[in-house]
Amino acid sequence: MSRADRIARPALLAAAVVGLVVVLPTLLPDYWLFLATSAIAAAVIAHSVGIVGGEAGMIVLCPLSFAAAGAWIGCWFATHAPGVPFVLQMVCAAAVAAVVGAVVGLPALRLRGVNLAVFTLGVAAAVSTVLATASFPGSDAYVTVGRPGGFEDATAYYRFCWIVFLVLAALTTWASRRRVGAAWRTIRRSERTAASLGLSVPRVKLGAFAASAAIAAVGGVLMAGQLGLITPRGFEPLASLSVFALAVMVGARFPEGALLAGVMTAFVPELLHRLGIAQDWGNVLFALGAIQALAAGAGVAEIARRRQRARRVRRAAARPAPAAPARDAPREVRPLRAGGEPVLETAGVRVRYGQVVALAGVDVAVRPGSVHGLVGPNGSGKTTFIDAVTGFVAAEGDVRLDGASLRGMAAHRRAAAGLRRTFQQQSASEELSIAQYLRLAAGGSLDAWMTAEALEVVGAADATTRIGELDVGARRLVEVMGAVAARPAVVLLDEPAAGLGPEASAELAAHIASIPARYGCAVVVVEHDMQLVHRACDEVTVLDYGSVLAHGAPQEVLQQERVVTAYLGQEVAVG
Amino acid sequence: MLQSSLAGLTSGGAYAALGVCLVLMYRMVGVVNFALTATGAFGTYVALVLWGHGVPYVAAALVGAAAGAAISALLGAVMATWFYDVGPEVHASVAIAMMIGLLALGFQAFGHGPRSLPAVLQGPAATVSGATITVVAVVVVAASVAIALATWVLLRTTTIGVRLRAVSERPVTAELLGIPARPLTVAVWALAGALSTAIVVLVAPTRPSDFLSLSLLVVPALAAALVGVFTSFGATVAGGIGIGLIEGLVTDSDALAPYSTVLPVVVIFMVLLWSQRRERWDVTR
Repeated sequence: MSRADRIARPALLAAAVVGLVVVLPTLLPDYWLFLATSAIAAAVIAHSVGIVGGEAGMIVLCPLSFAAAGAWIGCWFATHAPGVPFVLQMVCAAAVAAVVGAVVGLPALRLRGVNLAVFTLGVAAAVSTVLATASFPGSDAYVTVGRPGGFEDATAYYRFCWIVFLVLAALTTWASRRRVGAAWRTIRRSERTAASLGLSVPRVKLGAFAASAAIAAVGGVLMAGQLGLITPRGFEPLASLSVFALAVMVGARFPEGALLAGVMTAFVPELLHRLGIAQDWGNVLFALGAIQALAAGAGVAEIARRRQRARRVRRAAARPAPAAPARDAPREVRPLRAGGEPVLETAGVRVRYGQVVALAGVDVAVRPGSVHGLVGPNGSGKTTFIDAVTGFVAAEGDVRLDGASLRGMAAHRRAAAGLRRTFQQQSASEELSIAQYLRLAAGGSLDAWMTAEALEVVGAADATTRIGELDVGARRLVEVMGAVAARPAVVLLDEPAAGLGPEASAELAAHIASIPARYGCAVVVVEHDMQLVHRACDEVTVLDYGSVLAHGAPQEVLQQERVVTAYLGQEVAVG
Repeated sequence: MLQSSLAGLTSGGAYAALGVCLVLMYRMVGVVNFALTATGAFGTYVALVLWGHGVPYVAAALVGAAAGAAISALLGAVMATWFYDVGPEVHASVAIAMMIGLLALGFQAFGHGPRSLPAVLQGPAATVSGATITVVAVVVVAASVAIALATWVLLRTTTIGVRLRAVSERPVTAELLGIPARPLTVAVWALAGALSTAIVVLVAPTRPSDFLSLSLLVVPALAAALVGVFTSFGATVAGGIGIGLIEGLVTDSDALAPYSTVLPVVVIFMVLLWSQRRERWDVTR
């Protein structure tokens, strides 16, 4: 960002907000002010769908059910406790809706995206039925929902809605840059990755669901405050579906996209009405827009942000890179124990996929402070071994970390216990910056030293560089550094050199060899690059057909005839 | 008690048959088609308009089914062209957008109000200890089982079935193997459109018959398919019929009757929490 940018952008934003919040309502006729107020409430609801869909990758088709829950609580307060301040009512509504959202989200723990979408549509239909029968509290007696003190008239209430929207937008923007946002985006990309970083997938998903429900409920309370009397109409499943389509179309995960969605919800029908066009065509428009956005892979606001980001990256590339931050001397976190008990030990680890025995009882002992190579031909069970040890496949046998058995522990708990892994394929979300990913991987405690280490290894100048802007090899290195940033007892690296050229691979070998001394953890590395294995490893275990074929120092083991045969095939060995 | 529960059999059969169509589409082309019954309602209304103009019922129904097939094929072509190699979430989102668009177009073409439909299959088929089972109920239940069985056999034993499985699981690989994947996709969509029209035409006289209500038949149908997690035909048929029976059963109770459509959601919630309790990971590595 250039200096002019840094000053101009907030100034523009502030001017826009002042214009919209302060000046606009004094110019608008009553009816348009009413529509503008509805637009903000609708924007809040659209944002709730955008957040859970765009950030955490879950399709939620019942935003208006959550909004109805908010409105219901507003009505309840109006009937039973009208003295309670409006803002407090809103907080209550958000809290209750969050709980409801978490309960509705329970199937999300096990259901993949589509199934979850189906379930939430069922919820939307059910809530609409219940409302049609039971209706809102106080609706028989025509009890109206009050407005916040000092914001009773239309202009003031419009401003109040803006304040609520801006506060929410600030909260979601803040959250998306923090750990929770990084966790959501990681879940969207891959649940395995999330678990490998020590995140509890169910907890993160439920959290996203609850947050979405709470935001929608706030939108519902705003609606109730605006309308005074709430009827079940407008909370039907079809309306929820159209909010979803609109949120997809505009990219409502971002506040500006949500605002656009709100404006379209309120003003498109009005516009069509004035033009003498049936309002149904509005939904046709939203449907086409959503399909277009899905084909493009991004909604309006997402595309705008991407362009802006690309411009900024181009400009940054034109400027000289800042000097790399100085690195202090290496710090040792875990005292290394020379020799002694193995830090990671497996006993008789067996894995079957149906009839195929992928691992037939593997015993491996990783000494503290060592780099342990795991080699073998394709299909010999190396990755399955890592999966079994880290808890991603069910395995017989025992895995002990620092002497404690990990039997029956879920993957994310093993990660938290000090067993970190990387994957063969890129798994870090491309939308995260290097710093965000490292912080997420490190579990919150990331110091400047570790960031500087990572930047040097990755070869990036700036920790705000997005992972998607790095080349494939560098992305893998970010993942390796993420694994060590957590200061685990053992890291298991699955083909870290894939995608690296020979030079970079040699550098990586040196780096891996230095991991135990620099970061105080043992390393298990699966690799096909024999030069890397030679350079980095203290010990090597060779797997073939799911069994240990040989074990020992790399120089000796890799010379053995049976190892060469397993790798290169019979003919070469004989010839 | 028995009578009211059996009264739900017609609905249950419809949910089962439509649910089976959804599973069929998911297993053949990998799409959860939210627009299935909107397509069926469209075809049904085409048949209705023709019937209103004096076209014989059977001819009108056939043209309606053809219209349903054509609309569905068009949607399938959109999927095959722009959304061929995308994940199930994107497919579902597109289908949701299609449903909204179709509903809006349907309202425009046919209005929001209910229409009376000719009840061709009338009367009781059998009487079980004083409770009657209608012909429609028998036909839709039989249809759901027949579609399920036919699809199951097709997918297991025929070449085209194997190809379709390849298309739904690995679309690009299937295409590279020389399978005419996109035409097959469109054909499956067309078939589903025709089937769903036929089912909606059959059950429309027995329920609220405005365009929206018929289109929203997809909600219980999806619920039925969800019982089988979009893979098991047997569980889907059982789920659909079960939902119908529960709905029928609670109509007896004054307190519960208004919530007859809520109970299935609760039931499915329970079934899912139990059946999906094991931890599982998303797409392999």
